[in-house]
Amino acid sequence: MPIDCEDQELLEGFLAETTELLEKLDDDLIALEKASDDPELMNRIFRSIHTVKGASSFLGFDLLVRVTHKTEDVLNRLRKGELQLTSEIMDVVLEATDLVKTLVADIKGGEIVDREIDETINKLIPLLTEQPAAPTPSPAQPVADAPATAAPDAAPTTSETTPPQAEEKTAPEAAPAAAMPPAAPRPAPEAAKKPAPPKGGEKGGDDLSDNTTVRVDVKRLDDLMNQVGELVLERNRMIQLNQDLQGGTSDHILFSEEFGKLAKRMSFVTSELQMQVLKMRMIPVEKVFKKFPRIVRSLARDLGKEVDLQIFGEETELDRSVVDEIGDPLIHLIRNAMDHGLETPDERMAAGKPRTGTLVLAAVHEGNSIIISIKDDGRGIDTERVGRKAIEKGLITEDQLAAMSQREMFDLIFLPGFSTKDKASDLSGRGVGMDVVKTNIKKLNGLIEIKSEKGMGSEFILRLPLTLAIIQSLLVEVEGEIYSIPLASVLETLRVDQREFHVIGGQEVLKLRDMVLPLVRLEQVFNVRRCHDQDNFCYIVVIGSADKRVGLVVTRLVGQQEVAIKSLGKYLANVTGIAGSTILGDGRVALIVDPVGMVDGGEGASGGR
Amino acid sequence: MSNALVPMNANEARTGDHGELIQLVSFSLDNEEYGVDVLKVREIIRMPSITRVPNTPHYVEGVINLRGKVIPIINMRRRFGLIEVEYDKQTRIMVMDVEGELMGFIVDAVSEVIRISSSEIQPSPAVVTSGIDQECIAGVINQAERLLVLLDLQKMFSQDERQLFGNL
Repeated sequence: MPIDCEDQELLEGFLAETTELLEKLDDDLIALEKASDDPELMNRIFRSIHTVKGASSFLGFDLLVRVTHKTEDVLNRLRKGELQLTSEIMDVVLEATDLVKTLVADIKGGEIVDREIDETINKLIPLLTEQPAAPTPSPAQPVADAPATAAPDAAPTTSETTPPQAEEKTAPEAAPAAAMPPAAPRPAPEAAKKPAPPKGGEKGGDDLSDNTTVRVDVKRLDDLMNQVGELVLERNRMIQLNQDLQGGTSDHILFSEEFGKLAKRMSFVTSELQMQVLKMRMIPVEKVFKKFPRIVRSLARDLGKEVDLQIFGEETELDRSVVDEIGDPLIHLIRNAMDHGLETPDERMAAGKPRTGTLVLAAVHEGNSIIISIKDDGRGIDTERVGRKAIEKGLITEDQLAAMSQREMFDLIFLPGFSTKDKASDLSGRGVGMDVVKTNIKKLNGLIEIKSEKGMGSEFILRLPLTLAIIQSLLVEVEGEIYSIPLASVLETLRVDQREFHVIGGQEVLKLRDMVLPLVRLEQVFNVRRCHDQDNFCYIVVIGSADKRVGLVVTRLVGQQEVAIKSLGKYLANVTGIAGSTILGDGRVALIVDPVGMVDGGEGASGGR
Repeated sequence: MSNALVPMNANEARTGDHGELIQLVSFSLDNEEYGVDVLKVREIIRMPSITRVPNTPHYVEGVINLRGKVIPIINMRRRFGLIEVEYDKQTRIMVMDVEGELMGFIVDAVSEVIRISSSEIQPSPAVVTSGIDQECIAGVINQAERLLVLLDLQKMFSQDERQLFGNL
């Protein structure tokens, strides 16, 4: 059924507002479960769902109204203290929110799908009458419920709520067995249904996060307009200068002087403009992070683990394009930490750790990059076991393993097809997840570092560029060809005499202070035809990724420049040692060196052709 | 199935006398004339400065900056194993749309746009003497004075990509 709404603007407003409210709602609900006595939080939740209900009834979305109405009623009772929040109730409320999201996503898609909503509503309805009694549909537990069923019929009035509530409070302590029945009928069908709804919900949630529109601070927009105004003035000045020169009213000396000034101002204005636009593209990483409490909660329940998720630095801003891309890898890393990292409560007790595991998700700026870390206090990575598994799966040989450093062994978990699980479960074991992480992060020009101590936990550290579009780079010349090296990975540059090079096992190295630096000759990696006469002096650009260092041998350093990254297209996407391209001031294309590829392999030097 | 260059395949061409009218851009390569569907050709440009890309197949000449977009350039002579010649005033790059991506192809010269009826397309002879891979040839057009070879670049590239990935 297509949507019949006369006022498109109204509809768009509704969608934008609802999406925002729903995104926050998830977060608040999870927080509520931890602090159920926070009236402020409770009221906020109530208000959000109420707003959604009001707006949808105004616009005539009946399905949405029915679901939100019942959810609101349940929340209202929670708010008034007529109902005590339990994780079962929370499950139902979350399921209802998921349904609301799906419905909103339908509306956004422009087509109202006739969805089955009664099932969820039916789960909500019992919560509207008295809690301890699983009401009318309770034939399943008629015996156990017998004492309680007396109360509910009279229930809906506020005055009479006290006794049953008291009963509910005392029940768990006094007689855990008796307290079970009210909970029992619900978990059963839910457990069976569990795998389906959360997925739908997750998907619906993703669809909701809108990537096509941006909300920008009006002040930022005003600033932008000012910058553009200045740019227009400078353009006019440029046209004027050109006319003066052509018309003979200005000579070359005057022209070059004026033009020099103009170029300076232009460069100032454009860099300001660039900053402004960049700022507008920045969004807080919170957008991704706020999905996680929900995911962690449901994972913890599925896995039977107790987890305390702590989030820091969610206000850290980064480019939209990066934010869009890091969601998936982070989910995989969190799953990984929950499934492989953290132990079950019993195991933890046995190991002398607190029952509840801690998972820390933190984001922080560091120079031109952002660092996101996912840290758990679980069992850590067992390198021996990882090594053994990798051999079993035929991913590496014994000899290779013997030669590996601990770091390299950690890296084994990123190999496609690697898994320590013998059997694949819903959650993990196919050996895909970490490979996805690695590829996605690499796509973003990011780096992953693993810190882990057996028995103490592990930490995955992602280092991502703030933006993908423009980077600072070092331009170098290699026998007449210009290449660009991302400045973020350049540690230092030096000018050395080639006679200082040593050869160890066929590999050229340089003794730099107290370390031995392996050298890579770019002219060899890139098969550049030699055009200069052999000069003893050359430049070395030391690049590093993680804890590895490599020196790139180049002919000349050209300078530092901000460059816009251009993709080489599908056809040339996988060129060894090349991460992309950029266009130089003279219109020529310069290739961007892939520092990770350079550091990771001598194989990069020999591969290709 | 790709139908980049001919809207119908050669077998169908034999069946009807009055096929639909198609337009081809004709270009020359080592004194032979070739044609590609005009709708796939975005523009024809003179030789700009080309940046070499290392570690690519030998027929990838490099990349160019086409108004802010970086596109790969293929040397057709090298691709087809023909003798290389110096670029001259006639040398052109044909920028074409291959599976949604722009690519440039260096050819000796671009001559004209011709209109033919699709029924004039004949299947290529079993033995092709020039060095061109048989599968890229979508057909041959035999007009009074000239012989035009129809190319299917899409096919050429799905095959190339396999090779490229095989190398890496």
